[in-house]
Amino acid sequence: MSANEGFKRHGDHSYVATFDTAEKEVVLNLCEQLIELLAERVDHGHEDPLAALVGITSHDSPPEDEVLHRLLPNAYSDDVDSAEFRRYTESTLRGKKQAHAMSIRMALKSSPEGDVELDHQGANDWLGGLNDIRLALGVRLKIENNSYEHLELLSPDDPLRGVYSVYTWLGWLQETLLSALMDEISD
Amino acid sequence: MVKTSDALEEELRAIFSGDTPWVTIVWDDPVNLQTYVTYVFMELFGYSKAKATELMLQVHNEGKAIVSTGSREEMEHDVARLHEFGLWATLQRGDQI
Repeated sequence: MSANEGFKRHGDHSYVATFDTAEKEVVLNLCEQLIELLAERVDHGHEDPLAALVGITSHDSPPEDEVLHRLLPNAYSDDVDSAEFRRYTESTLRGKKQAHAMSIRMALKSSPEGDVELDHQGANDWLGGLNDIRLALGVRLKIENNSYEHLELLSPDDPLRGVYSVYTWLGWLQETLLSALMDEISD
Repeated sequence: MVKTSDALEEELRAIFSGDTPWVTIVWDDPVNLQTYVTYVFMELFGYSKAKATELMLQVHNEGKAIVSTGSREEMEHDVARLHEFGLWATLQRGDQI
């Protein structure tokens, strides 16, 4: 996409990268969409306010949207157990995933030059957030069984081709951050 | 002839005492990068790079791997943390795999 070299280790527990304007725009835009997608479902006034306060929701069925279903999967193969688990945990999970995306957004917004410096926690936020974006794009791109042939053969004017190049770029970016983190661990 | 062993006795005791261990299973997913899955196992469970890599390869090659074992509450906690990082995880009773 540009001269971006991805993330590099910069001393102890510090990881840096520089994003150009276009790259910043792409990542910010995807983070905004992810945050919006993960916003709570509104259940037409049947929510118990006290239960909502402690993170218990009245909905317990899996999300109908395919992307949301991948981001908030069932915890059990059994539907009854899954529903119970979802009732008590889905709201927290949505919040944690949103927090990852918000952390990425904040890091990019607070640097007009596009320089990003992450500590260990920040790196984990980025990894989780970038991964959720890739999972979402992966559902739309129908990436299954490690097969990319249908994407390689897309015509140049197919909008999915652009989505696929963003998906590939985010994977590369995630890989550079992982490599910087792993480099530190093997020391 | 039934042979007895420590492992078997442990297993039988667990069945009758009602504290059959539960397991957390991670399933293969074509989107998650191999390095990422390895890193998440190290980060969440404190596994060594070698152990985390072995589990990641098991997920990749066999379609799934048991990544942790314990009480039902502990496994629910592990599954929630794995979901937070986008891994496809479920829990079930250890004797029903």
